[in-house]
Amino acid sequence: MPNADAVALLKNTLTMILAGGQGERLYPLTRNQAKPAVPFGGLYRIIDFTLSNCLNSGLRRIFVLTQYMSNSLDRHLQQGWSIFNPDLGEFIFAIPPQFRLAGSWYRGTSDAIFQNIDILERERPDRVLILGGDHVYKMDYSRMLRFHVESDADLTVACIEVPVQMATQLGVMEIDAQNHILGFEEKPPTPRPIPDNPNMALASMGIYVFNTRSLVRHLSEDAKRNTAHDFGKNIIPTMVESGRVFAYNFKHGNCNRSVYWRDIGLLDAYWEASMDLVADQPEFDLYDPAWPVHTHSKPYPPARLNIGSQTPSRLILGQGSVVENAQVERAVLSPNVRINPNAQVCDSILMEGVVVGKNARLHKVIADEGVISPPDCTIGFNLEEDRKRFTVTEGGVVAIPKGLPIE
Amino acid sequence: MKTILIADDDHNLALLYEQELIDEGYKVDVVHDARAAINRVQNDPPDLLVLDIRMPGMDGIDALNRILGINNRLPVILNTAYSNHKDNYLTWSADAYVVKSSDLSELKQAIRDVLSKRAAEDNPNG
Repeated sequence: MPNADAVALLKNTLTMILAGGQGERLYPLTRNQAKPAVPFGGLYRIIDFTLSNCLNSGLRRIFVLTQYMSNSLDRHLQQGWSIFNPDLGEFIFAIPPQFRLAGSWYRGTSDAIFQNIDILERERPDRVLILGGDHVYKMDYSRMLRFHVESDADLTVACIEVPVQMATQLGVMEIDAQNHILGFEEKPPTPRPIPDNPNMALASMGIYVFNTRSLVRHLSEDAKRNTAHDFGKNIIPTMVESGRVFAYNFKHGNCNRSVYWRDIGLLDAYWEASMDLVADQPEFDLYDPAWPVHTHSKPYPPARLNIGSQTPSRLILGQGSVVENAQVERAVLSPNVRINPNAQVCDSILMEGVVVGKNARLHKVIADEGVISPPDCTIGFNLEEDRKRFTVTEGGVVAIPKGLPIE
Repeated sequence: MKTILIADDDHNLALLYEQELIDEGYKVDVVHDARAAINRVQNDPPDLLVLDIRMPGMDGIDALNRILGINNRLPVILNTAYSNHKDNYLTWSADAYVVKSSDLSELKQAIRDVLSKRAAEDNPNG
């Protein structure tokens, strides 16, 4: 594709990020904030990964559609992502529900776009890229856009091969040799496997490129029906029947060393993805200068380790954090965390401002912002006891909410 | 008998529509502005609304979208002297878009098409 065409492709594409979900399965981390605003990886908020993908792909016209508890998300976007110049037609704007159409909160993923159709009317993009704000991955969306145009598609859906049992929670598609989608089913009880591997299925990543006119036509028709107003349940299956709908395999757009995509909308998945970051050889590379992840961070002092003879190992240490003669093994520490002498912390995620008291022991814990675990307390070793006070997941992760005094 | 509501600020034109559609076998009601149309849809919904776009006060495009929030199943035909609104995405949730003409055959055909399509949707087994 000639350079001028490649630039036009990006300029004529509008990006809309769906950031309005309640994030109930991440509770208590979503008690006071929307899921895309939940911290991840010591320094970031979950939405930073999607926005950085946009930035690194050259996409500069972005609307973030917010809804529930958007206060901290708005603040984060304001502080960390006011990096474009709207005078040049480049922007990231957060848009709360306008109640212009339908007069209700967003009833489904596609309703969120439909209710903002006036934006599409005003901006008149050729294509719309629709993204979620709650996944961790690195992807060059411009490659997917090129594929979409070259396939002459009405809609292109990004997909990834996942184990069949995981596919029951995702949209699953069947494709032909030309990547034309022949069938699409949302959360099927028995997902259809891919032809050459009965254990794997082709799942939607919730990343869509639509030709704008096709998108508006289908959203407008769907708005007149009593459906779930959902891309996976309604819009895509309808378009598969009548239009040119293609699958774009994530492996062609992936910008991480290995193919890595995680939905971290569930506490156990959030914990696992966090632990991936402190593995011996982290699968997800935060340190690649070719694909920087942008965020906002407060000006804390440098992190300090005073470890004496004890060896902390494999941890992410946020700015301003202090580890004082404590034992820390596989942990993600956000900024301004303090771990006091003789404490033991392992397999845990400690959010900003957490204090771990002397001799305290934490195992497989997610401690939300500002949690203070007093000296000598023990959490994560007796799940029956922990269950009386905290959220304990199926995977045995103990989540300690903000603002709960621990005795 | 199906009831058709006509919303048009041009009284003479509305009268013409009323007579011709009564001759077609419909029950016809007329209002002359968008807010009256919305009130009527809220309180006593017709089977179909023929909605003008350029009216004093609220225009037909705003009314169309407000009505969608009140009753998304109500068939609406936008009926306007101007074809340029047809490209406006905010008009695409209308069931049909008819450009005004002294010959009402296109409007009558659109009414028949929209009503029969809706009947088929509501009653898929015929």
